[in-house]
Amino acid sequence: MNKSWVASNTFHYSRFGDLAHLVRKKREKGLKISLCLPTLNEAKTIAKEIIIMKSELMTRHPLLDEIVVIDSGSTDDTVKIAESFDAKVYLADELLPEHGAYKGKGENLWKALYITTGDIIVYLDADIKNIHHRFCYGLVGPLLMYDHIKYTKAFYDRPIAIGKSKIRPTGGGRVTELVIRPLFSLFFPELTQILQPLSGEYAGYREVFEKIPFPIGYGVETSMILDICEKWGLDVIAQVDLERRIHRNQDTKALGRMSFVVIKTFLKRLENLGIMEMKKDIYDQMIQYQLVKNDITPDVVKMVGIERPPMASIPEYQEKFGQSAPNAT
Amino acid sequence: MPPYLKNLPGYVEAVRNIRETIIANIVFLGQIPAPTFHEKRRAVKFMDRLLENDVDECTTDGYQNPIGIIRGKQSDLPPILLVAHLDTTFPKDCDHNYTINENTIRGAGILDNSVGVGVLASMPAIFKHLDLTFKSDILLVGVIQSLGKGNQRGMRHLVKTWPTPIRGAICVEGVELGRLSYYSEGMIRCEITCQIFEEKGVEYRFKPNAILVLHEVINQIMAIRLPQKPRSRVIIGMIKGGRKHGIIAYDATLGLEIQSDSDKMVKTIFADIKDMVTGISHEFGVRMKMETISNATASRLRYNHPLVKAAGEIMEALDIHTVGEPSESELSILLSKNIPAVTLGLTHGEHYHQTDSQMAIDPLFRGIAQVIGVIQAIDSGVCDE
Repeated sequence: MNKSWVASNTFHYSRFGDLAHLVRKKREKGLKISLCLPTLNEAKTIAKEIIIMKSELMTRHPLLDEIVVIDSGSTDDTVKIAESFDAKVYLADELLPEHGAYKGKGENLWKALYITTGDIIVYLDADIKNIHHRFCYGLVGPLLMYDHIKYTKAFYDRPIAIGKSKIRPTGGGRVTELVIRPLFSLFFPELTQILQPLSGEYAGYREVFEKIPFPIGYGVETSMILDICEKWGLDVIAQVDLERRIHRNQDTKALGRMSFVVIKTFLKRLENLGIMEMKKDIYDQMIQYQLVKNDITPDVVKMVGIERPPMASIPEYQEKFGQSAPNAT
Repeated sequence: MPPYLKNLPGYVEAVRNIRETIIANIVFLGQIPAPTFHEKRRAVKFMDRLLENDVDECTTDGYQNPIGIIRGKQSDLPPILLVAHLDTTFPKDCDHNYTINENTIRGAGILDNSVGVGVLASMPAIFKHLDLTFKSDILLVGVIQSLGKGNQRGMRHLVKTWPTPIRGAICVEGVELGRLSYYSEGMIRCEITCQIFEEKGVEYRFKPNAILVLHEVINQIMAIRLPQKPRSRVIIGMIKGGRKHGIIAYDATLGLEIQSDSDKMVKTIFADIKDMVTGISHEFGVRMKMETISNATASRLRYNHPLVKAAGEIMEALDIHTVGEPSESELSILLSKNIPAVTLGLTHGEHYHQTDSQMAIDPLFRGIAQVIGVIQAIDSGVCDE
């Protein structure tokens, strides 16, 4: 296992705090940078993310060229609020309609490739309570400063919000520690150096994202790491310490469903890589049980592991961008 | 028409154009917990934001009040002071992450006074955006240790040690847009504590209850005949005590504030209540203490003082309904030192001192325009009489 990766490719966001320098680098390289916020009912947090990114990384330091919100059909005021602060807002279902529509974060990220114009795309979850522009420039920094780095991934302390006004100092990352880290340890030990492979914040060059498939749901982070690593090697990946991230706590049942999708994505990659052969098809249903009065009843959720093909193979995308992004390195 | 009234309506839209910068400052500063005596992190961030916005000079005074200075064109003129208190009433472990909606910002301390601090930090960017310059230097000061037991220590130190006269001052508070405070009442804020002796050797025939003892204090305060002139009142604002439902309360605390147009009357009422407390303490055989937490002296500008008149005209020009009300905060310290000053509210809000306090975004831009107008009025000489 190449243990030197963690030393050479791990950064702290503060190393990229000279924003004027980052803007100069961006201009020297002739790049455009897009920020994409995938949303589903994020009315409580979306405005703050847009305002802070606009204020700090567009008005004060023109690092970002656009902020794009891709919404999965929020039933709260997410879309209205995002529009009121002048973000470009798109409904995922209305993008590339001839290719169908699915619900899921991965679907939004995939469609964002078509609608954004940047050579670098930054994906941030829209539920970050303590949003700060370091979440964006920390991820962009290594991409601008080191030519060999094509994809950056966040890691952080993860306090979780409990109740209305209290914060628990530690917690979160349960799916990482109980599911993905054991799987990486078993099959790809070098990938265990990526401290939070499931973090929802990452950035990369368009030329990377357009060439990999996107599972439509939770599996997208897992597949992204495995696919990038397989195609370009671990050295093109860097991880950035963003320190503290406060987010909503999810219950164990929801994490169970998340784990189901992550495992399924992982198994599919094992099969594709020829590491493992399935003797029979695996199932699409996550079955959880609940006690209702005196009855134990199953709660069955169907999660078909649909994956979007690499965006570069989509004709509309090719028409818009050519075979590859114009300024891809 | 005075020159400071000419451009006011246009300022509202111009300020709205940089709303992201202003809201970002409010959020960045307000999300840092700053209970009284623990404002250091917020003070450092306040300085950082001022520096990032290119103020000409940034410093702290001997009491660690952070100060930004925007240099004016006439160095012989005294400076104009803009001040907002940095501290809040919320403890460090309270969630200070703010929620922003289409037209509101919600979170602990937003109204008192994170919005004021954020707007102060945004002033350099606002002036730059509006292409405004002034004859006087503009001092942007976030004072520490204002609230409660802080007793305005930061503000007292600032006015006591500032090396030059101050031309005029504006105290910036979150709410309510329309307030025009140009006088402060005399005030003593105090706490009365009652403790039942628990030491060995102290035997009560009928053990007193600390809460009921304070109840007797309240009854006696209610019986005080307060004059109509000077206007005076005693506000019983807080009470806490006891340990368990089924056990006599061994300790209790009563928080109250004596307010009057006359400092002498405040002192008289304070002395009366102190006598009562001493008497009740002997009568019940309990340990009682009456402590002053903070105080303010009664001081005022005339209603027809040019600064008050100008502020009223500015608010009227911006279609802001004006309400005159007293302020016991930084204003009283400034007025007591004969510095012409007013306190202005920036916006509307609700749930003032709760964790879900909420401010309206849209009125904020008029609130900021009014502050700019008053700065221009002071700069044009309304306080130079």
